[in-house]
Amino acid sequence: MLSKADLEEILQVARRGGDFAEIFIEDKRSTKIGCEDRKIERVITGHEQGAGIRVIRGENTAYGYTNVLKKEELLKLAERVGKAARENPVETIPLVRRESPVKLPVKRRPEEEGIEEKAELVKAAEEAARSVDDKLVRQVTVGYGDVTQRVTIANTDGVYVEDERIRSRLSVNAVAAEGQVIQTGYESAGGTQGLEFFDEEKPVDLGRRAARRALLMLNARRAPAGRMPVVLAGEAGGTMIHEACGHGLEADLAQKGLSVYANRQGEQVASELVTVVDDGTLQGKFGTLRFDDEGNPAQRTVLIEGGILRGYMYDRITASREGAGLTGNGRRESFQHRPIPRMTNTYLAPGDASPDEIIRETRAGLLVRRMGGGQVNTTNGDFVFEVTEGYLIQDGEATVPVRGATLTGNGPEVLKQIDMIGRDFGFSIGICGKDGQGVPVSDAQPTIRIPELIVGGILEEGDCDDRG
Amino acid sequence: MIEVEKLNERDLVAAAVEDAKRYGADLADAFFSQNHELVIEVRNGEVENLKVARESGIGIRLIKEGRLGFAYTSDLGLDSIRETVRAALANARIGSPDLNNVFPAPPEAYPEMELEDRRLQEVPLEEKIRLAQEIEKSGRGYDSRVRITEQASYQESQYHVTIANSLGILASYRGSLCGGYASLVAGDDGDQQTGFGLYFTRKFDELDPEAIGREATFKAVRMLGARRLETRRTAVVFDPYVVTNFLGLIASALSADAVQKGRSLFAGKVGQKVAAEGVTVIDDGTIPKGLMSSPFDGEGVPSQRTFLIKKGTLRGFLHNSYTAARDGVPSTGNAARSSYKSPPEVGTTNFYLAPGEKDPQDIIKNTESGLYLTEVMGMHTANPVSGDFSVGAAGIWIERGELTTPVRGMVIAGNILELLENIDLIGKDLRFFIGTGAPTIRVAGLTVSGQ
Repeated sequence: MLSKADLEEILQVARRGGDFAEIFIEDKRSTKIGCEDRKIERVITGHEQGAGIRVIRGENTAYGYTNVLKKEELLKLAERVGKAARENPVETIPLVRRESPVKLPVKRRPEEEGIEEKAELVKAAEEAARSVDDKLVRQVTVGYGDVTQRVTIANTDGVYVEDERIRSRLSVNAVAAEGQVIQTGYESAGGTQGLEFFDEEKPVDLGRRAARRALLMLNARRAPAGRMPVVLAGEAGGTMIHEACGHGLEADLAQKGLSVYANRQGEQVASELVTVVDDGTLQGKFGTLRFDDEGNPAQRTVLIEGGILRGYMYDRITASREGAGLTGNGRRESFQHRPIPRMTNTYLAPGDASPDEIIRETRAGLLVRRMGGGQVNTTNGDFVFEVTEGYLIQDGEATVPVRGATLTGNGPEVLKQIDMIGRDFGFSIGICGKDGQGVPVSDAQPTIRIPELIVGGILEEGDCDDRG
Repeated sequence: MIEVEKLNERDLVAAAVEDAKRYGADLADAFFSQNHELVIEVRNGEVENLKVARESGIGIRLIKEGRLGFAYTSDLGLDSIRETVRAALANARIGSPDLNNVFPAPPEAYPEMELEDRRLQEVPLEEKIRLAQEIEKSGRGYDSRVRITEQASYQESQYHVTIANSLGILASYRGSLCGGYASLVAGDDGDQQTGFGLYFTRKFDELDPEAIGREATFKAVRMLGARRLETRRTAVVFDPYVVTNFLGLIASALSADAVQKGRSLFAGKVGQKVAAEGVTVIDDGTIPKGLMSSPFDGEGVPSQRTFLIKKGTLRGFLHNSYTAARDGVPSTGNAARSSYKSPPEVGTTNFYLAPGEKDPQDIIKNTESGLYLTEVMGMHTANPVSGDFSVGAAGIWIERGELTTPVRGMVIAGNILELLENIDLIGKDLRFFIGTGAPTIRVAGLTVSGQ
């Protein structure tokens, strides 16, 4: 075990090579259970530990990691990571422990619960999905995962943080088939809690919802192609806001000029109805943190307020580069990665309209009740995401389900266009990938209307394009 | 107390297998992997990020009464290994019993391969930094409209794998990879476009930094001024990189695991025509220069070459020991482990669409009008079961056999089986992007949604 004094010594060696040195020590225990084809096939438990040392000198970062947690090994690593620069005589930096006001109580700690308990959750979800329609539901895949991550973060500013992050999640993928048509339905839920999380988010409900969606999509028509109004229901979750706007407000991308939102603080970048917030302190959500992975307290950050760009999400390097305050968004996947600005829980704030009214006021278009994955090109703002549950809107009513639709558009254009915002609110969770690092996030939004978006469907041979 | 450092990897995996047997496993295997990594990222001539890393660990898999359990640890002390064995046994208690849970017996021999470039250890860091700087410099010097370096990097990895199982397999190999990557942003009149260049190889001396930088610039600049097209059905010429994106989708459907679980669009189609005549898809873990080549797979089965689709006809699927036992066929050596942390799944090695005879330039020349597709977005949203895809698309419009204006912000939708059937031209320009390779192809008709 490494003492505070050991860490001070290691930091002192590393700091010789730069202006700032940091050590991030991680001990992670995880469980994964996979069920498919009515069988529990994958039961995996893992224990991983390691440390990453970061040395910053001016604009340059050196990073090294090892999974040998011995003082001598870490001193060697500190020397190697720090040696890029000239000798900088430094004094020992006393480390002062930080505490967080954010309480994340965990009642049933994953590592103290038996593997059988967890397997029961998986079985319950699988059986519930099958029972929706035993004939048409052909395959059900259930994945359970929990992580207990203990971290120690210390740096030459004197920051010392010991933290523990516990997360649990469950996902269900149901495949339904009838004749030649095969469709899938996916549901997932996760939070910064232990097994008590599943008292609220019942595995049975997740299983049923996934199966029902797959069945619904069996009878769906192919989505229309072209430009049309799109209503995104609150229950669709916040993928859109995450992709269309969140990434572009991460300070590293903005500072490199790789974001359409670069240098636009104080400007109107969205419709007046639009307020976007990143909040790492929301109780129990999948992206919630006490401290980010640089040891800075998580916080609520208003990114866009009434359409005006207020700020960006920062890590230490990007904040100091422009003299901005830290926002607690310096996150990393593990000790194998340096921290970079990342979202936590990001949402588009609710408005006044009732979700029904938004649909009623739309003559023709597409209603999206569930979104799948998405991707954004932050340089130009173009995004794409898939619709996993969609309906045609005809004369102000949601009618037939449609499948195979993809929405594509441009983030800034869409944010300017939004003309109705509902008072409902729905969350979705995911592991967001950036620069090869995945971190848990959640996204949320109310029901919104975008007057014009491109829907990519399939144009059958001989169809005429009445919009062209 | 015995210090870990005194045990070599072979002793370590053998000790893990012995422990597993002693604690009551019927069969066990242990997989050790170690990776040394170096990444140098350069921006504006300076090293912005430098990463040195060392990681190792062991994964223990065992079968007890037909039930499978797996656990891993990065702590290579003997106590930790014992704890990991016990965790794997506990996990096996809840696994469903399955007679097809089997491990391979030792083969007669493994293919001989030279996977390691020892020069990587001799080349000084400064030279590798210079290489990364050269990538950026050549890219930015190639066209003045390139304004931002998103990334210019040199990367290398030196790895070591050792495996043992209770049936007598004990084998190991060492390998290395190195390469360069550039992602550059060109700007003009408020418009910004990104392009990338990349090249990975086993031999340090084969790296050409200038080519990597120039490719990124070429790709970024050619997209400047892109506009949206009107929705239409048209011929689409796919550049090799885009084809490899689609191959990823095909690869997952060609895994026997997907077939057995009813989530493959190729299920029940062996011997049938599933693609145009010219289409041949191969997985080959023995290609001498292949970056995913290795003497054996994640279970210790020798690597081999497997025809999956030959001249348009589906020939078979990729197997590991489990799926092979379930189908009563031999394993194809496709048990893939991404690291010690994962049990062997079915995965590809060097997976590619075999080249045809056409010059890629001629494919464009022979296209009266259509889209030259250079970028797709959101490929991971495609449905591997139904084969339906609907992805963001960008490229260059072809008019009378010539590349004309760049286009972006569109969606291409269709079905992967229809796409395979409608491939009417295949180029001779096979190019690998790490483990997946493809030439230029043309697909007769696809819906492109735009305005």
